[in-house]
Amino acid sequence: MIKVTHVTKTYDDGKVRVEALRGINVEIKNGEFTAIVGPSGSGKTTLLNIIGGLDTPTEGNVIIGETNIALLSENQLIDFRLNHIGFVFQSYNLIPVLTAKENVEFLMLLQNKSEAERDERTTKLLKAVGLEDQINKKPNEMSGGQQQRVAVARALASKPDFILADEPTANLDSASTANLLDIMYRLNQEENMTFVFSTHDQRVIDRAKRVITVEDGKILSDIYT
Amino acid sequence: MSFWDKQPYLTFVPFVMLFKLAWRNIFRNKRRSIITVSSIIFAVIFAVFMRSLQYGAYGNMLKNIVSSYLGYIQVHKQGFWTEKTLDNSFSPEDITYLLDHENISYLSYRVEGFALASKDDNSKPVALLGLDVQQEKNRLGLDKKVVQGEYFTNRKTGILVGIGLRDIMSLRLGDSIIFLSQGYQGSMASGSYPIIGFIDLKTPELNKRTVIMDLAQAQELFAMPNMVTTAVLGLKNDNWEETQQEVIARVDTNQLEVLNWNEMLPELQQLIAVDKAGGLFVLFILYSIITFSLFGTVLMLTEERSFEYGVLIAVGMAKNKVIIVAILETILMAITGIIAGLAFAFPVVLYFNIYPINLSGQMQEVVEKYGFEALIPTSLDPSIALSHAGIIFFIVLAVNMYTIVKIKRLEPIKAMRR
Repeated sequence: MIKVTHVTKTYDDGKVRVEALRGINVEIKNGEFTAIVGPSGSGKTTLLNIIGGLDTPTEGNVIIGETNIALLSENQLIDFRLNHIGFVFQSYNLIPVLTAKENVEFLMLLQNKSEAERDERTTKLLKAVGLEDQINKKPNEMSGGQQQRVAVARALASKPDFILADEPTANLDSASTANLLDIMYRLNQEENMTFVFSTHDQRVIDRAKRVITVEDGKILSDIYT
Repeated sequence: MSFWDKQPYLTFVPFVMLFKLAWRNIFRNKRRSIITVSSIIFAVIFAVFMRSLQYGAYGNMLKNIVSSYLGYIQVHKQGFWTEKTLDNSFSPEDITYLLDHENISYLSYRVEGFALASKDDNSKPVALLGLDVQQEKNRLGLDKKVVQGEYFTNRKTGILVGIGLRDIMSLRLGDSIIFLSQGYQGSMASGSYPIIGFIDLKTPELNKRTVIMDLAQAQELFAMPNMVTTAVLGLKNDNWEETQQEVIARVDTNQLEVLNWNEMLPELQQLIAVDKAGGLFVLFILYSIITFSLFGTVLMLTEERSFEYGVLIAVGMAKNKVIIVAILETILMAITGIIAGLAFAFPVVLYFNIYPINLSGQMQEVVEKYGFEALIPTSLDPSIALSHAGIIFFIVLAVNMYTIVKIKRLEPIKAMRR
């Protein structure tokens, strides 16, 4: 469960003051498939970053499970992200010098998982995203869609509580987008994995079970479909 | 929780992955890596060769000193070195007990005086050296320097004259020279001695004013039986500093002075000091260039990889581990450069150790003026290579401070904004 209460975020560089979030309250339950939508500059990415512990709120709390991540130190936050949150980025952001298998395995290595466990989970995840025959390819040897599927497998590798995906389909063609959404939807259905997207891709919005619309730093609507 | 659990960045398995990351990163921009490694190789070769040459020259100088007229250590009557008169002489019996010292193999006694040398209408002031001709033959190889006539092989009478003095005074073998001087304690010293040979001491100045005779003859000429002005200590090994201190502790320093080659040739010491300082200055410039070159690489690497570092930190990689990957990359390049540099430098240094550089022209004259060989062999002392490898490694670590600070301050959100 993700519980965001009275969260505000203000950027102030001394000259310009921008209120990116203005008192956001939202709860996302386990197993949800949620899209946060809104126009550019609406605050959806800021909200996603704050939920992911990549940014800190100016005011308010973000409670994940039983942890108020707004109170964690920088190192504690890094550790929390490793063990509780999976990230999928718009530009995939795989490690270019590692193969698909090594990219997926990477976070488990940081978690000091055994080799047997790493091998088993890596194989399972790459099979789940349909890339069992691409395990030794490096990112530059794969298409954008394949890279994003590796990114999803990587995000799942550390057994996170939920996955945050920032515009995951923005750089993908229609076929790749449909394929990726199918995979994420299946993981949500079969493994009850929680997904939270920030997007303005209608194809993602159409598949979401819940759509939260953000505008001018406030939640404009919150609809279960 | 064990210590290792608290230090996850030190556990072995992630380290293998961090190493793999760093190693593969080196090959991402091959051209830059080659330039960086090449600059390190060049620096190592240049620094090691230059220093080996410099220390080799000093080593050769020392070798020359021990085999030269001066020797490592001399004992005189207190004050002789500043006022070289025969009155500042002493009896060899005062120091024979020094032969008990474990590092002293022999004592070579001398009488060093001055006289006016005359032949027909010519007269010249000369340095008259009374030596233990057999012992000095073995030590200095004086017999090999005789270019005309013979050494004191089967005799102890007669004199050897420098070839410069021969030319000035138009001397020939068999001629007799009359010496006139002041002897010990103001006595009159005079005598006539036949020339048995001419000697080339390799130094024009010495050749113009040196006359050598047997010690006993000199003692008789200067009326100072059983007295000498100088004792050269023959050492079994090169540990002259410690030996000098031990000799000073044993002799009566109110009566005798114990000087090492440094103290007797302060100009040479200054020459070496100036040369060393010059070498250090060149090295400083070289290392400054290398430092900025490496810093440029580290700066580019860090800036280029900021996005990636941001991603790694965002997905949960501790900053310490990111720092290790970043630093390992430059350390691996440095180690490669250092090892390759040493591998290239070794045969060059070895070659010039076996075939030393032969000085010529003015440099040759200057060096030979001090009685040294005009050869510069390189030193094979491994500490030279190791110290410069260490300095370059330290520079690599130092320039990586930028990476450490940069990553420590990195905010993943800002870093991931392209």
